Amino acid sequence: MSLPVVVVGLSHKTAPIEVRERFAAGSEILPAVLARLTSRPELDEAMFLSTCNRVEVLGLPKIDGSGELAAQAASRAIREALRDHIGAATVEELGEYVYERSGEEAVRHVFRVAASLDSMVLGEPQILGQVKDAYDAAVAAGALRSHLARCVSRAFSVAKRIRTETQLGAGTVSISSVAVDLAKRIFGELADHTVLLVGAGEMAEQAAKSLGQQAKAIRICNRSFERAASLAAHFSAAAAPLEQLEAELVLSDVVVASTSSKTFVITRDLVKRVMKQRKGRTLFFVDIAVPRNVDPAVHELDNAYVYNVDDLEHEVAENMKARQKEVAAAEKIVEHELGEWLRWARGLNVNPTIIALRAKTKGVLVAELERSLGTRLKHLGEADRAALTQMIDSATNKLLHAPTTRLRNAAGESDGNDLVRAAQHLFDLPAAPPPDASTQSLPPPADDASEPRLPH
Amino acid sequence: VAADALFYLTAASYVVASFLFLRFLASGKGDVGRLAPRLIGLGAALHAGHIVLASLVLRVCPVEGIHFPMSVASMSMCVAYVLARKRLRIEVAGAFIAPLALTSLLASRFVGHGAEPGAHIKGAVLPFHVTSNLFGVALFTLASSAATLYLIQERLLKKKQIDGVFRRLPPLDVLDRAEHRFLLAGFPLLTIGIITGTLWAQRVEAGAPAEVLRAVFGYVMWLVIAGVLFLRAAAGWRGRRAAYGTLAGFGLAVVVLLFYLLRAPVTPATVSAISSPFVSPPAGGS
Repeated sequence: MSLPVVVVGLSHKTAPIEVRERFAAGSEILPAVLARLTSRPELDEAMFLSTCNRVEVLGLPKIDGSGELAAQAASRAIREALRDHIGAATVEELGEYVYERSGEEAVRHVFRVAASLDSMVLGEPQILGQVKDAYDAAVAAGALRSHLARCVSRAFSVAKRIRTETQLGAGTVSISSVAVDLAKRIFGELADHTVLLVGAGEMAEQAAKSLGQQAKAIRICNRSFERAASLAAHFSAAAAPLEQLEAELVLSDVVVASTSSKTFVITRDLVKRVMKQRKGRTLFFVDIAVPRNVDPAVHELDNAYVYNVDDLEHEVAENMKARQKEVAAAEKIVEHELGEWLRWARGLNVNPTIIALRAKTKGVLVAELERSLGTRLKHLGEADRAALTQMIDSATNKLLHAPTTRLRNAAGESDGNDLVRAAQHLFDLPAAPPPDASTQSLPPPADDASEPRLPH
Repeated sequence: VAADALFYLTAASYVVASFLFLRFLASGKGDVGRLAPRLIGLGAALHAGHIVLASLVLRVCPVEGIHFPMSVASMSMCVAYVLARKRLRIEVAGAFIAPLALTSLLASRFVGHGAEPGAHIKGAVLPFHVTSNLFGVALFTLASSAATLYLIQERLLKKKQIDGVFRRLPPLDVLDRAEHRFLLAGFPLLTIGIITGTLWAQRVEAGAPAEVLRAVFGYVMWLVIAGVLFLRAAAGWRGRRAAYGTLAGFGLAVVVLLFYLLRAPVTPATVSAISSPFVSPPAGGS
């Protein structure tokens, strides 16, 4: 049996933005969410991932008996933690939006998510950074310690390999670039129009990059004026504090909102006032934040249009056609890496048996030798005794070489557990204890040398 | 024979152009940036040739009566479209222009015969009045085409259906701007038409009820268009409101035209009683 990793979550494929934003967790509440997860006795390790398009909990069950039962208990614990996180009354409220993966499927899912194969924008680079941030937060909270940490760490290597060996991330497609394309289809060219970025984070930076020199002017409005000014300096833009948002909206034609605010930054009343001052000039909002920054009711106003990440999904898919060719190659890498991972994970069950077999064999031989040395061979000197001890070590190695090799090889196969049980039965070995993170060796990552940002 | 040949060639150009535009809108197939607009341009040239030749044969001034002004208006609309399409980026508006030009061309063939103005009501004001009105109508037709496309685009954008037709139509703001510019260009001509029509009407006395109603519609139309332009400048009436206003004004123009085309034949006595602010005077025969 491989490690029973469990993933419970929801994404743009299963839940609309109105649902996803209820689950989203910013960095300020992440420790509390992780504490809630680690307090569950059913979970040995956990990680909480929250991005624009997905909210997921990765969990490794605590195994006392059946791995399957442990996985079910872990899944229930995660669902209950999510229920508490959104303040729902029952787990059933999570309803049809939540998906679940376990075992091999869960690990494949983690690899695909990190490699951006499950993203709205295939191959987008932001997801890897977001997974790394989630990893760091979980490690800092003590929620990731061993095998699950290794699984996520391996996912980074897989993502890096895909980025290096395929063209999945080639080109400039991103939510921001798609939003800019849509803005062009509303305004014609942006050369006569001003773009306002509300928020100065990574997404705002992406938007500014996508705009390049296309817009007449870029303005950046942010709660932290210093951050806005810093970003503005990079893009020859004008910066303003969030208090001046209304005046900034009057001056702008395209608004890209990406703050981490939990409530609407741009409300219907605000835009109503702005539209009067703008004398009805078209105002296009692209809300790429989750939770959303722009009240959807703004879309009902004349000459005001609000598009969020879900609304851009179809547009993104159109732009993704060129990348679809790379998906097959990327999936192949995922499957190869998954096979390596499973081989290692199954080995976690074999190693205790091999150790026990070696200990028993050597123990028997050493006991017999000592008995002989105490009676018939007590005349032997120190040099002869040392030679006999060495001979026993050598005999143990030679005797157990074939069984050890076959057990190790079988660990990667589906019938590996049968062989382990047979060895335990034949040699009267104790059943293997559940994998203990502190005593098991970990597999080498796919490419440690090429993993400069590998979390530690 | 030559005039007829030009007529049919014109119609063929408009038919092919209409087909190309409508196919593009329906399926996205074909390039309507070059061939289809050029066919409209070719149609307009053939149309002009037909008008000149036919008016010479019939010895009728093209801007008098009913028959030719309709034809001249649709030809002018095509010329304005061809001249403005690149600058205003409204190539796809040809999907409206080509069928409208075709309809007007065919209608001019079958409607309004025998309704040429009598010699006793012709004067210096009449051609001036008719010419300004027909060019004004041509520009308003272009404005209303842009307004219709705007409303389609706006509806798709509000419903978030941004694939298919939305991709094939011009950008929303481009359509709004084109509509405004056509209205701005057409409004002075319409105003001249109203003034000259009013001056001409002063020469006649009371009118038949239908003619009075037509005059009222003409004035209301002028007020609606003036209102659309004023409210846009003063109160920010853009986009959907402006598009609806433009279509309302165009609808009134069509009503005036229908009054004009569908009226009963009138006698010289009643002709002298017409007071039209908008279109050239009716006639009971020459």
